[in-house]
Amino acid sequence: MKILVALKRVADPDNANKVKIPPSGDRIDTAGLEWKPNPFDEYALEAALRLTEDGKAPKARAGEVVVVTFGPKETEQTLRAALATGADRAIRVDVTDDKLDGALVARALKALVEREKPDVVLMGKQAVDGDSNQVGQSLAELLDWPMATFAATIQEEQGALLVGREVDGGVAVLRVRLPAVVTVDLRIVAPTSVYSLKTARTHKYNDGVRFAALPAIMASKKKPLAEVKLADLTADSGLKVQYHGFEPPPARKAGIKVKDVADLVARLKNEAKVL
Amino acid sequence: MPRNIEQSFMKALFHGVIAEEMLFPFPEMSSDERENVSLLLDSVRRFFGANVDSAKIDRACRIPPEVLSGLKDLGLMGLQIPAQHGGAGLSSMAYARVMQEVGSLDASIAVTLGAHQSIGLKGILLFGTEEQKQRYLPRLATGEHMAAFALTEPGAGSDAAAVKTRAELSPDGKHYVLNGSKIWITNGGFADVFTVFARTSALEEGKKPRLTAFIVDRSAGVKSGPEEHKLGIRGSSTTELFFEDVRVPVENVLGEAGKGFRVAMEVLNSGRLGLAAGSIGACQTLVRMAIDRVQERRAFGRHIGGFGLIKDKIATMLAQIYALESMTYLAAGLIDAGVVDYSLESAICKIVGSETLWSVANETLQIAAGIGYMQDYPYEQLLRDARINLIFEGTNEILRAFVALSGMSGPGRALEDVARAMREPIKGFGLLSDFAIRKARTVLGRERMTRTHPLLSREAVLFEEHTGQLVSITEAVLRKHGRDIAEMQYVQKRVAEIAMDLFGIAACLARTTRAIERRGEEGARREIDLTSIYTGMAQRRLKQLVADVQDNDDELRKAVAVRAYADRAYPFDVL
Repeated sequence: MKILVALKRVADPDNANKVKIPPSGDRIDTAGLEWKPNPFDEYALEAALRLTEDGKAPKARAGEVVVVTFGPKETEQTLRAALATGADRAIRVDVTDDKLDGALVARALKALVEREKPDVVLMGKQAVDGDSNQVGQSLAELLDWPMATFAATIQEEQGALLVGREVDGGVAVLRVRLPAVVTVDLRIVAPTSVYSLKTARTHKYNDGVRFAALPAIMASKKKPLAEVKLADLTADSGLKVQYHGFEPPPARKAGIKVKDVADLVARLKNEAKVL
Repeated sequence: MPRNIEQSFMKALFHGVIAEEMLFPFPEMSSDERENVSLLLDSVRRFFGANVDSAKIDRACRIPPEVLSGLKDLGLMGLQIPAQHGGAGLSSMAYARVMQEVGSLDASIAVTLGAHQSIGLKGILLFGTEEQKQRYLPRLATGEHMAAFALTEPGAGSDAAAVKTRAELSPDGKHYVLNGSKIWITNGGFADVFTVFARTSALEEGKKPRLTAFIVDRSAGVKSGPEEHKLGIRGSSTTELFFEDVRVPVENVLGEAGKGFRVAMEVLNSGRLGLAAGSIGACQTLVRMAIDRVQERRAFGRHIGGFGLIKDKIATMLAQIYALESMTYLAAGLIDAGVVDYSLESAICKIVGSETLWSVANETLQIAAGIGYMQDYPYEQLLRDARINLIFEGTNEILRAFVALSGMSGPGRALEDVARAMREPIKGFGLLSDFAIRKARTVLGRERMTRTHPLLSREAVLFEEHTGQLVSITEAVLRKHGRDIAEMQYVQKRVAEIAMDLFGIAACLARTTRAIERRGEEGARREIDLTSIYTGMAQRRLKQLVADVQDNDDELRKAVAVRAYADRAYPFDVL
């Protein structure tokens, strides 16, 4: 099985306080931010690796995992990390975040999918910076492929995937015929969430994503990493979403101490006006 | 001219020569290696976060086998083993950075990894023949086999010459037969391959033995004693080793027969840097805990972080760690640049690393106060774990003597050369060469530190002045004591401590200069401030040390100690 995994790098959410907005308010200042892969995309990569191996012998890949990211040269580090964890090949579409929106990424991915002809496109359900949650769905629409979003489990079948989605009150199970687009939720990296046809149903994975070992990190230098221009993928680079301004959330005000319950109720009623 | 003077920054400094080309530019890893290491550290942090519970390792007194095998899978066992022998071939700087990370996460694991590759297999890396490397390194690189370093014996700790373990050549000349025992061997309980030091000459009182290093397989009949119960690093394995007619093929001699002492010294010189790197990591963990604590604990209506004495402790820690980190990576960079003699630098890093960590652990526990003392919190374990570093891989006392004596031996020989040249002016002229000329210049005016950034000129002048002090004190004590200097431990300690502070200042100056050149004064503000604090602390110590050389109560202290030995106790009781 050949799988295309779309990866985005995001500002490290643990250092979100470092996000700065210049006085002009027309953009987010990304200088000095620490970057890491979008966690949901890392889960998608882990799912792709599980789908292309026998869980007992995870070093041998059955099929191919290709990772793609949209970003400047520095984002190649994100791709290297993915190659070191087991992906076979990487593609970087050279562009910066401010020139992109979900619809444009989906258009470009469509062109890439037509070139690469994967059986499955896997990605996180959303990126934790913009939280747009659009690319997977738009891509499936553009390709006219079956789609399963927010996958919590995936089981490979002959020519199809059985995808479990956690919904209110239970689990909805979809069978999507290949080729298909699947976006994943966090439970996809639980020990018994993903099974390829090769992996025994008794196999239990370690919880979470796998870690790149040093020999694989060194070897990842030799894996192909191609650069593609956005213009080569889509002639239409227009944006459907435009941002009109940014402002930081208001600083948290100091709290107050209330005398007693009556005082609290009065203040909630008169000052906070929530009662 | 003393040979190899230019091969060690600190040895040159004892002659008054400031080898700036060894300091500037401050070393750094290649961008390729930086990327590899940062990807690896990411894996290491995640692996530890998901799998390692230090408090549990401490209580259980063992590292769970699945953790150890996870560390092997990450490729952490062959960090410096060359790629052709199955390792990652990391530079010394990269290796130090990885050990720093492991040291920040768990001391027992750091010591286990260090015993394996900082010293256990290091002899094979440094002295092994191609056959020995091919035979042993691939399995050591994957961690399928673990290594240990076996030098210490009941009667021979820092005094390697007192080794009793005997290796006798079999009549057919094909084997050595080892008999004896070793104690306190890290990884002793499970290691598969040992670097063992044994005497290949008879034990004679007062005579230096011929020591030989051997690669010994556990399967050759090495027996381990039970696990020792320790104050800290409880998850690491520490046992006695017994050799009873253990037959070791002559092909397993490491280096030359009879040259084992040199093997031991070289291995330890390089191993000490790994220990210093681990100390940096542990310091960083402690400082983070201390900062969290002072921003959370309230007293008298405010966070204790607002109090001056707490700020003082935090600032001191930061300056000490900055200096330690600068010294360690400078020394590692010197090794990577091909400098052969880094024995003084690595010994200094070990002393400063272990003592900085001890003081940071102590101060962090003090800041945490009540909860710092409680076993439900991590502070006391970190303090216990830190303590061993002042003792193993050469006690800090022995290393101070080593730094002083090794540093002074160059000037000692030079003084003899100069004296000889004076007696035979014409014949001796050749001896004086450019070293003596450069030296003559240092007498006229001090050597200059020319490549530091002008913003650091105050600190640079302090460095120059105290380099002058180091030289004149060295000369004065050598003239006064001659060969007896070997017995003058008070003098040795002072000379060593002056050298340590000078190395610290030099490293900070080089690193901060680079920071200013790259990021400008404001961009390098943090580095400049920490350099200023560290140099200020060093200056006060140096002033005291220099004064103590002249004016001290050394003799009185010796007399009091001798009397106490006779009394066998503190002599008073108020009853």
